[in-house]
Amino acid sequence: MSVIAPNFKLSEFIKSLLDNAFWGVLLMVLVGIPAVMMVLFFIEMPVINGELLTPFLALTWLADPSRILPVVHAFMATDMFRVMAFPGFGFAALLAAGTIFVERKMLAKLQLRVGPFYCGKIEGILQLMGDGLKLISKEIIIPAKADKPLFWAAPVIFVGAAAAFVALIPVAPGWVVADVDLGLLGVFAVIGFFPIITILSAWSANSKFPFIGGIRALFQMVSFEIPLILSLLGVVILTGTLNLSEIAASQSSFPWIVFLPIGAIVFFITMLAELERIPFDLPEAESEIVAGWLTELSGMMYGLVQLGTYLKLYAFAALFVVLFLGGWNGPMIVPPFPAEILTDGIVMGPITAKIPGLPLFTQEMLNGTLWFVLKTVGVIFFILLPRGVFPRIRIDMLLNLGWTKLIGLAFVNIFIALGLLYAGVLGPGGLQ
Amino acid sequence: MADAIFLALSVITIGSAIAALELRSLIYGSIALMGTLGGIAGFFFLLDSPFVALFQLAVYVGSIAVLILFTVMLVKRELIFKKIEDKRRKFAGIGLMLVTMIALGSVFLDSGIKTITTDEPPVDFRDIGTDFVTYYWPALILMGLILAGSVTGALVLAKREDVENDQRTS
Repeated sequence: MSVIAPNFKLSEFIKSLLDNAFWGVLLMVLVGIPAVMMVLFFIEMPVINGELLTPFLALTWLADPSRILPVVHAFMATDMFRVMAFPGFGFAALLAAGTIFVERKMLAKLQLRVGPFYCGKIEGILQLMGDGLKLISKEIIIPAKADKPLFWAAPVIFVGAAAAFVALIPVAPGWVVADVDLGLLGVFAVIGFFPIITILSAWSANSKFPFIGGIRALFQMVSFEIPLILSLLGVVILTGTLNLSEIAASQSSFPWIVFLPIGAIVFFITMLAELERIPFDLPEAESEIVAGWLTELSGMMYGLVQLGTYLKLYAFAALFVVLFLGGWNGPMIVPPFPAEILTDGIVMGPITAKIPGLPLFTQEMLNGTLWFVLKTVGVIFFILLPRGVFPRIRIDMLLNLGWTKLIGLAFVNIFIALGLLYAGVLGPGGLQ
Repeated sequence: MADAIFLALSVITIGSAIAALELRSLIYGSIALMGTLGGIAGFFFLLDSPFVALFQLAVYVGSIAVLILFTVMLVKRELIFKKIEDKRRKFAGIGLMLVTMIALGSVFLDSGIKTITTDEPPVDFRDIGTDFVTYYWPALILMGLILAGSVTGALVLAKREDVENDQRTS
């Protein structure tokens, strides 16, 4: 292995750390704390429970779980928590990061390689962090004749569109960022934005390879959007609603894949094409056009596009789960929260800690999330698997597949759904 | 709140419409057109019809704008058009558009549309669907036939016979 920093000395590194710490502490003591005290002198602090709220008291309260838990509970009910942490961006980004690592490791095992190995000692688990640091610290190079505003904006808008897609996905009963009545139509509208962003990013780079890749991406996404929309209409016909939460809730006894397997297969294939994954990765065919429409992106712009791609992958897998595999429905396997903690508190020897607001999550929500994550991870696994097995197909085969075969199959699926509805198997008077 | 959103949407829609007309760069012009169509989708949201708004987004922004972008990218405009740069023409164009819009607006306002008040709830898309399969079924059948005809025509037009290797004349 090559040496990254040849003049590196551990003693000097420690000395620099201690230097920084020394100056930090000195500045805080001489400037920071006096400044805070001077400001506090002019502010009238509130009196809570007969006590004057000083910063010292506030810090003491923050360390007390019985006081901080209700605050956490209240915070979890806010929209900000939903957007940033649980059903929204943080949760999706975590799953996306896991997907990237599993993809690299699994492909390596399929092809008898070791994959990421050195970074993080144990099977290279810190490889992703290393890659992220590399991308953040790299220079962003803009081609000289690029259209700069569009070129800068495209990766950001790409992540934005992917996040909007994630926001529509219900994870557990009631846990969804945007519970819109027309969720599925919203999904169609958001999917329609990706070709525009791709082609604008490709055009603005003013370079051959991105433009060819962008045109390919446009062809592919536009022609596969139609079978994608058609294949989901069967579920809409059977449930009679476009709300994704209601569609997931309607599958409490059986998932729709039992009745609409053709629709599920068509949706899965179109999903692979929309995500530009092998065998449909013509837009970024690395052996022909360098990296397709990503060729001129560098540094964190490339990182943003990758983040957006994997967010989109998670969102599509989750959409498959919600529409065909029953969403959060599954046997209740999470044990209920122990009731004696609520009534008696936690007894540790002589100490009894009574903590209000303790069941942070209900049993239903934990169970739903567990099943949802399990199913989503399974679908993501099946999305990743073809990459190790199949070669890339030609663009005329791709378009032929999309425009003739898949659209035909999607119509067959719609007729199956209509037949089930009119024969009375499903719908009013039927099984559901 | 609704007034502020309405004003902002109007500014976005009219501003990007002017930009779509007047920008020299065709790509930016079509992006501005996307802004106009998106603004119209926003008006539909304000009018409590998210169904139409989402279709506006999916069809107009998602498909028709893509078509326009794609066509623009295949055109080399230097070879086709002769540039006539003229400030007066530009402002005359904007002025003509504004005059037309103000005239249309005054006609609308004069027509007594302001006196109409309604408390009816917004129309559910399920009602529209029910109407289509009951009272308005001939329209639905007609639309279905037209769409099927156009899709079949497009498929026939796009179909091509590949020359196999053994059919090639050497």
